[in-house]
Amino acid sequence: MSRYVTPPLPAASWLGAFGRQLRNELWKLFGKKRTYIGFVMFLLAQNVIALVFKFTRASGPMQRMLESAGHTAEAFISVLTIATVMLIPVAAFLLPLYVALVGGDLVAKETEDGTLRMILARPISRARLLAVKWLAGAIFSVSLCLALGGFGLLFAGLHFPWGGLFVWMPEQGIFGVFDGETGLWRYLAAHGLLVTEAVSIMALAFMFSCFNVKPAAATILGLSFIFVSFILEHIPYFADYRDWFLTYHLHLWQFMFAERVPWWRFGQSLSLLAGFNATFFAVGLAVFHSRDIKS
Amino acid sequence: MNALAPDDPPPEAMIELQQVTKRFGRRTAVEAFDLIVPRGEIFGLLGHNGAGKSTAIGMMLGQVWPTAGVVRVCGHDVQRDRRQALARVGAIFETPAFYDYLSGWRNLEIFCQYTAAVPVQRLHDVVDWVGLTGRIHTRVRTYSHGMRARLALAQALLPHPELLILDEPADGLDPEGIHELRQTILRLQSELGLTLLLSSHLLSEVEQLCTRIAVLKEGRKVFEGTLAEVRNTATRVRLVTTDFEQAARKLREAGLIQHVQNGARLSLAPGVGTDEIVRRLVSWQIPVFEIAREQETLESFYLSLMRPPANAPAVAPSLPRL
Repeated sequence: MSRYVTPPLPAASWLGAFGRQLRNELWKLFGKKRTYIGFVMFLLAQNVIALVFKFTRASGPMQRMLESAGHTAEAFISVLTIATVMLIPVAAFLLPLYVALVGGDLVAKETEDGTLRMILARPISRARLLAVKWLAGAIFSVSLCLALGGFGLLFAGLHFPWGGLFVWMPEQGIFGVFDGETGLWRYLAAHGLLVTEAVSIMALAFMFSCFNVKPAAATILGLSFIFVSFILEHIPYFADYRDWFLTYHLHLWQFMFAERVPWWRFGQSLSLLAGFNATFFAVGLAVFHSRDIKS
Repeated sequence: MNALAPDDPPPEAMIELQQVTKRFGRRTAVEAFDLIVPRGEIFGLLGHNGAGKSTAIGMMLGQVWPTAGVVRVCGHDVQRDRRQALARVGAIFETPAFYDYLSGWRNLEIFCQYTAAVPVQRLHDVVDWVGLTGRIHTRVRTYSHGMRARLALAQALLPHPELLILDEPADGLDPEGIHELRQTILRLQSELGLTLLLSSHLLSEVEQLCTRIAVLKEGRKVFEGTLAEVRNTATRVRLVTTDFEQAARKLREAGLIQHVQNGARLSLAPGVGTDEIVRRLVSWQIPVFEIAREQETLESFYLSLMRPPANAPAVAPSLPRL
C-alpha cells in the first residue's frame, strides 16, 4: 500500500498542461478509424482523377485552350496542372464534408458516448476543454489540407511529367499560366489558404457540436449553413451583398491562382474569417457553458 | 468504526449543500436540499429512479448548474472555484464510459491529465492496486464489465482523491462483482482514509457499507441520519401476554397503538414508548411476559419513506386507450 501513496508531481506550468491535454485530444481524434475516412477518400478520388486524365482524352479541351492562347500544351499537362485540377472539386465537396464530420464529432460524440461526463468530473474548465478540442480540430484540418496537396502531387507525379501550371476557373475569372517554380509556389500557397476554409467549416460544425445535439446533427447543421450561404451567394440579385456570406470568403484560396494576386481581397477575407471563427467559438462556448451535462 | 466519540471535534464537511434547488424547465429535480458529508464517512444517497440523486451528484461535480443554493466540495464553492473544489475528487458513474478504441493505459493517461500530470510510477501503482496489470495495454473494447469497473476506479484514484463520488457503481455487476466492489470500498476507506458518497439502489450494499444515509424522494430529502437511527425508528413491538386480543383492543381504545399484526405484534402510535404500554397493561391487570421493540431494516425503513401518505388519494390504474 505504501506504493499507492506516490507523491504528486509539482504543479506543472499552464502551458505544459495545455500541451498534454492537446496531445490527449489528438490521441483521441487520431485513434478513431472514422478520422481517416477523409484521407482515404482523397486518396481514392485523386487516383481516379489522375487515371482518367492519363488513360482518356479528358485533357483534350485543356490542350486546345492552351494552344489557342499561344502556349505549348505539352509543357502544361503536368504534375502541377493535374494536381490543381484534382484540388478544385475535392476542396469544394469532399474537404467540407470531412472537416464538418470531425468538427461535429468533437464535443457531441463525447456527450453521446458519456466520456464528457467523465471529463467534466475533473477540475478542467469548460472553456479550456473547448479550446483544446478546437485546436485539435484545427490540427486535423491542417493535416487534411496537407494530405490533399501531398497526395495530389504524388498521384499526378506517378503519371505526368514536371512542368508549368495551368489553371482555369471560369467562375472566378481565373486563367493562370505559370512556369514550374512559380506554379509550385502558387500551389503550396493555395493550400496554405485552403486551411482557412477547412478550419472555418470545422469551427462551424464544432459550434453546433457544443449544442445539445447528436454528432450527425451537428455535422448536418454545419454543412447546411455552408450550402445555404453558397446558395445565397449565387443568387444574381444578391451580388452586391456577396461579401456578407461566409462561402464568399472561403473561396479565398482560389485567388492564389490568379495572374495578379488580389492581396486586398486576402486581407479583407482573412480578417472576416477570423471574425467568423471567433464568433463560432464564442457562441459554442456560451452554449456549452450554460448546459447541464447529464447522463 | 466510524462512530464519533462525544468529545471529538465536529468533522470537516467534504460535501456541503445548502438549500440547493435544480429545476429543468417547469420540473423541479431537486428542491431545497441540505446535505453535509463529513470527512472519513461512507455516506449513502438513496432514492428511486428520478428522485434527484444523479442531479445532486451532477451539481457536486459542477456538471449541472444549480438553480439556487450553494454547493461546496472540499470546502470550495463548485460554481466559483471548480478547479480547487474538484482537485482531490474522483468520480465513478453507473456506466463508466471510456475511449473503447484506446488501451486502458491510454485512457488513464487521458483522464488523469484533466486534473494534473501524474508520474508513470503512480499509474503503475494504481493499475496494480485495482488488479488490471495484465490487461492494461489492451483495448478497452475487449474488457468485461468488471474490468471496466476497475478501470473506472483506477481513473478515479489517480488524482490522489480525498473524496470519491460513486453514482450507482454496482449497476450491471454480477454478485461476485458486487462483492468485490464492496470490499474495494471498504479498503478505500480503511487503507486510504477516503470519504465516499455512494448513490445506490442496492439497499443491502448501503446497509453493509454506509454509516450515514440521506433519502431523496421526488427531489426532496425525506431523511438524513445514521443507520443506527434508522434501526431505532421501528415502531413495531412484539408482545407476549395471556390475552393478546384483549390487550390490543384496550391499547387501541387508549390510542396507544395503530395496527396489530400476526396476533403478536403491535405498531405503536407516534411518541408512545414500550414503558407506557407496559404501565397501562399492568394497570389493566394484563400480565406482560415479554415486550421487545423490533429492529427496523433499511429496506423496510426505506419503503415506509417511499410509501404515499395514508391520506393521499389512491391512484386508480388507468387502462390504455384503444
